[in-house]
Amino acid sequence: MINLFAVGPGPIVHVAPAQVFNIGGFTITNSILYGWACALVVIIFMVWVARQVTIKPKGGIVQFIEVGVDFITNLVENAFEDKKIGRKYVPFFVTIFFFILLNNWLGLLPFVGEGFHSGESPLLRPFTGDLNATLAIGAVTMLTVYISSIREAGGPLKYLRHFFIGSPLNPLYFVIGVLEMFTDLTRVLSLSLRLFLNITIGEIVISVFSYLGHVAAPLSALPFTLLEILVAALQAYIFTILSTMYLAIAVNHAEEHASDADLTEDGVPETIGVTASGSTHG
Amino acid sequence: MIIADAVNTAIIGKGLMIGGGFIGPAIGIGLIGGNYLQAVGRNPEAAKFLGQALIFVAIVELFGLLAFASIFIVK
Repeated sequence: MINLFAVGPGPIVHVAPAQVFNIGGFTITNSILYGWACALVVIIFMVWVARQVTIKPKGGIVQFIEVGVDFITNLVENAFEDKKIGRKYVPFFVTIFFFILLNNWLGLLPFVGEGFHSGESPLLRPFTGDLNATLAIGAVTMLTVYISSIREAGGPLKYLRHFFIGSPLNPLYFVIGVLEMFTDLTRVLSLSLRLFLNITIGEIVISVFSYLGHVAAPLSALPFTLLEILVAALQAYIFTILSTMYLAIAVNHAEEHASDADLTEDGVPETIGVTASGSTHG
Repeated sequence: MIIADAVNTAIIGKGLMIGGGFIGPAIGIGLIGGNYLQAVGRNPEAAKFLGQALIFVAIVELFGLLAFASIFIVK
């Protein structure tokens, strides 16, 4: 029955980016090409917005960006116990939020994908619909989080100490602490895979429904495109809030430890031993 | 052996993977959304925790997406 309405071999689905050309041994894929274009657009647009901001809001798209900046600023500042520490990291998270958000939305434009071709492969591809791109964003974010939390903790050893709830010499706490460290390392993968898969699945769903629609392709793909606009905003928000949480947990924990540095759980059995031996002597 | 010759078992495998992999996250997201609405119904002040509910939606959703990603490995 579906064959009645649909023509062609099936919906065109790309999961991996395609090579467009080479520069001195480096492969330039279509997602890199569109990523550069989007980065340029985002930079020019944001610089323009920054010059348009006035004390009395004029409305329009500047107002929209202002609301977004305010939203992320509140979110980051409230995640930290000390708002002054949170204020330092606001610019980074606002940048990450708008970069991902605008890249997701620019990737939904109709000419991206099958619009232009160079040879067999499409010339443009959504930047966040490429695992390499999201892995780079995730790696940069998590490196910032690690470096910042080491700096806030006051040294690498003090940072590593936070993974152990008690003394590392206790075998149980040691195993739990090492497991916690591995969980921490998987965050790069989980952040980038979530963003990549959400955007790619959106592309595939839109592709499938525009294929099923045949003549009425714009109509059948429209609801899913609208849904993808929502998902794009949601994914940018989730990426930002999760990386904020990772940083805030480490920093808040560091402050907690600084106040009660002497109270380790390992101290309890030792004092019992001392008093027991002391009582035999006395 | 005969079945493997007659039908493409990779398609069946992919179907099972998608079906099984998406059941769990669907139930999980339903539970999160339901409990969020219940909390808001009891205490309308709790409506401000929508952002935290969305974080858990994102965590749960990842497992469904992983199931989707792994269908490309099946040949």
